Amino acid sequence: MAEPLILHPVDRPGIATVMARKGVAPGTLNAALGLSLPDGPGAAFAGSRTAIATGPGTWLVLDDHAGADFAGRLAETLAGIAAVSDQSGSYLVHALSGPAARALLQRGLAIDLHPDAFGPGSAAISQIAHIGAVLWQVDDAPTYRIAVWRSYAESFRHWVEVTAVSLDEADQGG
Amino acid sequence: MRIPCPFCGSRDSREFVHRGDAGPARPADGADAEAMFDYVYQRANPAGLIREHWYHAQGCRNWIVVERDTRSHAVSGGAWPGPAR
Repeated sequence: MAEPLILHPVDRPGIATVMARKGVAPGTLNAALGLSLPDGPGAAFAGSRTAIATGPGTWLVLDDHAGADFAGRLAETLAGIAAVSDQSGSYLVHALSGPAARALLQRGLAIDLHPDAFGPGSAAISQIAHIGAVLWQVDDAPTYRIAVWRSYAESFRHWVEVTAVSLDEADQGG
Repeated sequence: MRIPCPFCGSRDSREFVHRGDAGPARPADGADAEAMFDYVYQRANPAGLIREHWYHAQGCRNWIVVERDTRSHAVSGGAWPGPAR
């Protein structure tokens, strides 16, 4: 039987915010980034790279296989068309997957994760158990990725652990 | 209460910070003290519709303008402040 719930930190991805310069259309950045940036709330994937729209003209760009100079290289690539800030030290990204992932997240997140409303490529910036979080769905397992401020990562993991136990007890009628 | 964010969609008001009346416009440079006093402190406090600034602090981190009825808290619209983007 598949594990109902798997939580693990994503190993040191490169993370940066990308803000299009005034008057620069999002499509202008696509070629340099190697993916098609979402124009509204959502996530785009290409190889090891992910872009999450976090506001108008603003994205969080992550790369699972980037080195420590990810943001610097991105800034060079996007010089003149976007502002880039390194966020690798600010966020810790978790992958949460398994059949119980949705029910667990809904205990602390006021965003509708029903498959009709939120599927692979959907993203939201909100709070989980009062912790500010950027959340996006990767696949139908379902697998979610959740970025929280690094200093809140321990609180987030604690919340996942205690909520998983209470879900398990509820399933067993306890 | 739900707030319609122009970017994120309908969200719980707990994600937002409420600032207040979006009506007052900053006086031009060189305006006298009385005009600045009115701009900073004087508010109409209407019983009915008001356009207010809200900040989506736990979301897209943008300022928006929300139309709300102060008698019922019914929210009838959310839009970007200033010129269209």
